[in-house]
Amino acid sequence: MTAHRRGPAFWIGAALGWALILFGLRGVLQHSLDTRPSQLARFWIAGALTHDLLLAPLTLALGVTLARAVPGRWRATLQRTLIICAPLALFAYPEVRGYAHILRNPTSLPHNYTANLVLVLAAVAGLSAAVALISARRRPSTVSGRSPTGRGRGGRLRLWSRPRRAGGRARRPR
Amino acid sequence: MMRTADRLRRRVPVRLQTRLGDAFGTWTTDPDLPLRQHAYQSPLRDERLAAWLGATLGILFTTCFVTGLYSHLHQHPQSWLPLPARPAGLFRFTQGLHVACGIASLPVLLAKLWVVWPRFVSFPPGRRIADAIERLGVLALVTGGIFQVFSGIANIAQWYPWHFSFTAAHYWTAWITIGAVIAHVGAKAPITARAVRRRKHRPALADADPVLGTTAEGVHDGLDRRGFLVSVAAASGVLTLVTVGQTLPGLRRLALLAPRDPADRPVNRSARNAGVIAATTSPDYRLRIEGRVSTPLTFTLAQLQALPAHTADLPVACVEGWSYSARWTGVRLTDLVAMAGAPADAEVRVESLEEHSPYRTSFLNRFQAHDRDTLLATHLDGRPLSDDHGYPLRLIAPGRPGVNQTKWVTKVVVL
Repeated sequence: MTAHRRGPAFWIGAALGWALILFGLRGVLQHSLDTRPSQLARFWIAGALTHDLLLAPLTLALGVTLARAVPGRWRATLQRTLIICAPLALFAYPEVRGYAHILRNPTSLPHNYTANLVLVLAAVAGLSAAVALISARRRPSTVSGRSPTGRGRGGRLRLWSRPRRAGGRARRPR
Repeated sequence: MMRTADRLRRRVPVRLQTRLGDAFGTWTTDPDLPLRQHAYQSPLRDERLAAWLGATLGILFTTCFVTGLYSHLHQHPQSWLPLPARPAGLFRFTQGLHVACGIASLPVLLAKLWVVWPRFVSFPPGRRIADAIERLGVLALVTGGIFQVFSGIANIAQWYPWHFSFTAAHYWTAWITIGAVIAHVGAKAPITARAVRRRKHRPALADADPVLGTTAEGVHDGLDRRGFLVSVAAASGVLTLVTVGQTLPGLRRLALLAPRDPADRPVNRSARNAGVIAATTSPDYRLRIEGRVSTPLTFTLAQLQALPAHTADLPVACVEGWSYSARWTGVRLTDLVAMAGAPADAEVRVESLEEHSPYRTSFLNRFQAHDRDTLLATHLDGRPLSDDHGYPLRLIAPGRPGVNQTKWVTKVVVL
């Protein structure tokens, strides 16, 4: 993956790391009554596939859509808000769904998690907007429709533009 | 052979040959470059971000592994490593840290995966043996990391969409994940060291990593690298803030998304779910002391309550990360086994009326069994134990996981 020559750190790390990985795999197989290896393997693979084929593409699509829809000056605020809110929503999902209630343990999930999640998300969004407004006031005014840096065009998609280097053209990937 | 190849080439139309060549160029890349690398030049995908996020995740995962191993040793005691009973709040601290680090790693893991995602889809996976070893290690790291964070969060919310044992699966996958972390650290150590160096000591980003670094130092709308890192840190911070009150009393009011409220004096298993209510409320209830003793003893509840009582302030710390301190009153375990004539350094097994649970018994080593605060408690905060808290008798000892503080105790076996 990396072009540099593999040093001793790579081989020492690989030897030690793979010894532990194999120890873990052996444990999974040895305690198969508890670990149910085939089902566990399905969960391992499903987790990675869910990220690679669902979560990451959805995030990419959402980013593209928002980049088209949201003016450049607000993009950072929106990104910041979503980066904080998305993990909160993911974390709270099993609580909002109330899966623990099936165990009939009165001390499990004692709150109204839907209301609490909405409250936390609203607080994050409000705080993020307040920070953006305050920093916009502190910054010197910019040309209308342009980003504060003066280079980006607000509201237009510039997802993978190249940097402008001092010498002129951007360097291409080797 | 050459003739056959030439003949084939002549038969295939030039246009098709060009298309095939283009497709091959599109879908295969140098192993050092990701698939269609031009499509992934987001300003938020660069080597330094990957390095900082990776280092943070490495610290969080290592903390989780070490604290998890400590918890495992409590639940699966080893005779060659008797764990100390003191400090009384040590397990509360380590397990609170374990769960807090696990929760905090959710945004960091997602951000790290986002930054390095183009790497996952590079094809072919490698042209050297070292590439293949590294890719397999990354596969173990990604699958293990996602599983550990997902299963941990699901477990604290008591959501079990699987049929395997959570503790066994989480424990063995932890070894796989930490092994993959070590292999990854070995592979990325030079890059990480270079990337986190001070600005004047490090090379230009585009020179360092043409794949991930070509655009990161350009000017863009939206978050820059520092803004992205700050946002991820804020996400971890907010998640911690709204959950850690389940173990830190000072932040209880902010624990809006914590699965438990310590003020409720939560329990992990109710008496009804354990199926013990009939046995605990029966007039036939007895506590028996047996095993390696000179005089096996049997006590009724009234006889136990007539023995000298002691009070201790001890925490109940669940492996799910919640905890609370309470005042417990009951009989010292060491006094009871001494009455039966057990050796002064005897180890002890405590058994519950609960029949079908992996935690129906618990083991106390010599330090834990003879600690002055290890009690068979009858009262919690001055009131008789409720059914859910282990009426008529429960074990409470310093520095142990909640699952080992056996409830509904009916037998003490001296080993």
